[in-house]
Amino acid sequence: MPLPDVIPFIGLGWSDVLFLLLGGVVLAAAFGVVFGRDIIKSGLFLILTLGALAGIYVMLGAAIVAGAQVLVYIGAISVLILFAIMLTQSKVAPVKLAFQTQVAPAALAAVLLAVLFGLAFGSTDWKSTVFTDTPAATGTAPVAAALFGPYLLAFEIASVLILAAVIGGLYLAMEPKADDVGEELP
Amino acid sequence: MSQIAGHLEPYLVLSGMLFAIGSFGFLARRNAISMLMSIELMLNAVNLAALALGAFIPSLAGQGAAFALLIIAVAAAEATVGLAIVIAIFRNRKTPLVDEYDTMRQ
Amino acid sequence: MITAETLVEVGTLPSYAPLLLLLPLAGFAFTAAVGRRLGKLAHLVPLAAIVATWAMAMSLAIPALTGGLGEAGASMPLFTWIASGDLSFGLGLHVDALTGALLLVVTTVGALVHLYSVGYMSHDDSYWRFFAYLNLFMFSMLLLVLADNLLVVFAAWELVGLSSYLLIGFWYTKTAPGLAAKKAFITNRVGDVGFALGLMGLVVVFGSLDIHTVLAGVEAGALAGPAATVIALLIFCGAVGKSAQFPLHVWLPDAMEGPTPVSALIHAATMVNAGVYLVARMSPLFAASHDAMLIVAAIGIFTAIFAASIAFTQTDIKRVLAFSTLSQLGYMFAALGVGAWIPAIFHLITHGFFKGLLFLGSGSVIHAVDGEQEMTKMGGLWRKIPITYATMLIGTVAIAGLPPLAGFWSKDEILGEAFKFGFTWVWLVGMVVAGMTAFYMFRLMGLTFWGKSRVHDESHVHESPWTMTVPLIILAVPSIAIGAALGFPFANGVLVNGLEPIFHSASTMLEHEHEAWTLFGIDGLLMLASVTVASVGTVIGVRLFRSDSNEFLSSVTKRLQPLYDGSRNRWYFDDLNDLVFVRFGRKVADALWWFDRRVVDGTVNGVATLTSSGGRGLRQIQTGRVQNYALGIAFGLAAIAAAYLVIAG
Repeated sequence: MPLPDVIPFIGLGWSDVLFLLLGGVVLAAAFGVVFGRDIIKSGLFLILTLGALAGIYVMLGAAIVAGAQVLVYIGAISVLILFAIMLTQSKVAPVKLAFQTQVAPAALAAVLLAVLFGLAFGSTDWKSTVFTDTPAATGTAPVAAALFGPYLLAFEIASVLILAAVIGGLYLAMEPKADDVGEELP
Repeated sequence: MSQIAGHLEPYLVLSGMLFAIGSFGFLARRNAISMLMSIELMLNAVNLAALALGAFIPSLAGQGAAFALLIIAVAAAEATVGLAIVIAIFRNRKTPLVDEYDTMRQ
Repeated sequence: MITAETLVEVGTLPSYAPLLLLLPLAGFAFTAAVGRRLGKLAHLVPLAAIVATWAMAMSLAIPALTGGLGEAGASMPLFTWIASGDLSFGLGLHVDALTGALLLVVTTVGALVHLYSVGYMSHDDSYWRFFAYLNLFMFSMLLLVLADNLLVVFAAWELVGLSSYLLIGFWYTKTAPGLAAKKAFITNRVGDVGFALGLMGLVVVFGSLDIHTVLAGVEAGALAGPAATVIALLIFCGAVGKSAQFPLHVWLPDAMEGPTPVSALIHAATMVNAGVYLVARMSPLFAASHDAMLIVAAIGIFTAIFAASIAFTQTDIKRVLAFSTLSQLGYMFAALGVGAWIPAIFHLITHGFFKGLLFLGSGSVIHAVDGEQEMTKMGGLWRKIPITYATMLIGTVAIAGLPPLAGFWSKDEILGEAFKFGFTWVWLVGMVVAGMTAFYMFRLMGLTFWGKSRVHDESHVHESPWTMTVPLIILAVPSIAIGAALGFPFANGVLVNGLEPIFHSASTMLEHEHEAWTLFGIDGLLMLASVTVASVGTVIGVRLFRSDSNEFLSSVTKRLQPLYDGSRNRWYFDDLNDLVFVRFGRKVADALWWFDRRVVDGTVNGVATLTSSGGRGLRQIQTGRVQNYALGIAFGLAAIAAAYLVIAG
């Protein structure tokens, strides 16, 4: 039996429901990242957020970006973060207060930003440039054409940047050698 | 047809809220690594916005995705270096809490 | 700017004229440089310089007075001193009959004082310094008299004040001379402020301070009415200070702290006459304003009676002479004020000689009694120091105005012209003062020379050396004769003829007519009146003080005790000055100091405190924590975005 076009009782299409579901997960998990007491939990919530976002990326028709998201963000960066949490666990860190003293102004700033974004998006006239339809999967070809076309320089620089970051990260995180008592910078 | 998922605005609203949450976490958490995780949230919000615009604006067909890929690459590099710094500081200060990194105070 | 278009033909001075200034200056420079090493011979160069100056001055003054230099005199422009934009002030010499009269007194008395000082100051360690200062003073005074530009006159005015300061405070190691010197200088300065303002006024009106230009402009009517009054009175301020008229008279009695030759030279014969010279020289300016003339006369005659009343009770011999000088100067200004220009100058000359004589004589007396200046410790000296006594007696008769000595001629002319020009009140007060003068001068003679000796050590009293007595004798001659020599025949004498062209324009402006002199008319009556008054004063003075203190005198003193005390204390004027300026001024200064400390400094310190506490407060923002800074960034971003949204739609 084919699925009905519109879900009964709610009156929303399947894509809408999917979007609401994924969007809800994203937001809830984000709240979990930010408000989590235990930092490991925050890290795990981050992974959840990133995963849900990958789903939304697929909905937008950019499967390759979703793939990159999962591979890089969840598979590498989140693991990296978990390792770092492990390495920086401190016995003296108080468990009780996870928030700064400036939490109230921070909340205010965040709310302000959200309001401003809402206003900005709402007051823009999108109609003329935007088509309203579920976006089709665009495939990899246009992306590749863009990456190796106008964005070639950015692509190359990004690779250099990653190289530099790797080297820098290695150096920074190295254990100081035993006979180096206080490095003297030239 | 789809009333929500077929329009641009919901994606942008979602992106904005995600960004706001990320910035709140960045400003309010004490642990340095929590701050970095919040930064990742913000970057992903930007990614979402770029992809949404790329999908709904015909003249930007592949560019939104290309932009998002590059952001992911940069985010990876930034996370690497940032975490290395946090580990290095942790070795000196024995604490990951940023409000204890205040030797530059007046 | 007024330029003099009608200049009377002015002759040229002989080429040695600048030596009149250069010789005393060279004498000063030489003695100041090497005088210390010359010891007791330090007087040779200065004395020679002054004698040479005297000779040259006489060669110029006598022709000037007798008309040999022409009506407008002779001049010699030397160089331009200041040339700035439109203004130009030059230094030049000018000699006419008025200059000649001043030269006569200044150089003669000056030379004699130099000779006198050889004897008087012979025991002093700073012998050389005294002569250096004396020469400096002579240079300054001659510059004042010879200059043809009022700015140079002002400069010489100040130089003369400086020399006076140096000489009054000659014995600076003692307190009193130092204080007296300061008092003299400061009081002079008060007058000089007015003088300077008057000069500035002249520059504004005429654009120049050249005396010819200014006087020609005034005669042409360029300056009249209130402007003339103001400028004349301002210039008179300088004269009030320099010639010690009320209320700036306070420095002259104290100036007696200086050595007696200084008192004779500066405070009797030369410097104090500078004010009289100034007013006489600017006579057209004063004649242009009747109000100014009135004030000059009033101040002059008031000073005359004020000072004479104080001289009644003073017991220091030099102080009596100081107040006498004040009184006679008052006469001169009264004469100038009523328009009797020539008698004023006449009196200047005669007074210079006999007051110089009296001061030098008093110095001889002081020398004889080993430095004692109080007349209560003198007496019966006439046998011991006959030359001094005789010459002083001559001087006293001269000042009392008894004919035929010098004082009678000049004083009688002043009083006569005052009466004839209609200033009866000046004449009346002048008469009273003449009687008072005779009285207190013979009181001085009595207390000093007559009666029983009250001297501390009688055997030690001795006559002075020839260097001191010869000048006395020399000065006695003009005290006797110069009145007749210059003033006879009446209204047609040498001086009248010589000075008449100088004051011609001033007299014309005052519309004074020259009536013929009538012996058996008003002039004879006035002469008789003045002689009578002088004689009465003399007789009373002689009778009361001929022998020692008698009961009549003490009973009168007791009955008039308040008047006696007031006179003794110089009518408390010095105390008034002290109260108003010193004490009250001190309170004002303290108040201002409080204000400066609290308000002004407080404001400055307050600003500094404000800045530092503001900085301390702002420093709280720098927490060193990245998140705080990030919060600032977030708020800033929100603000900019909001602003953009509002502005862009």
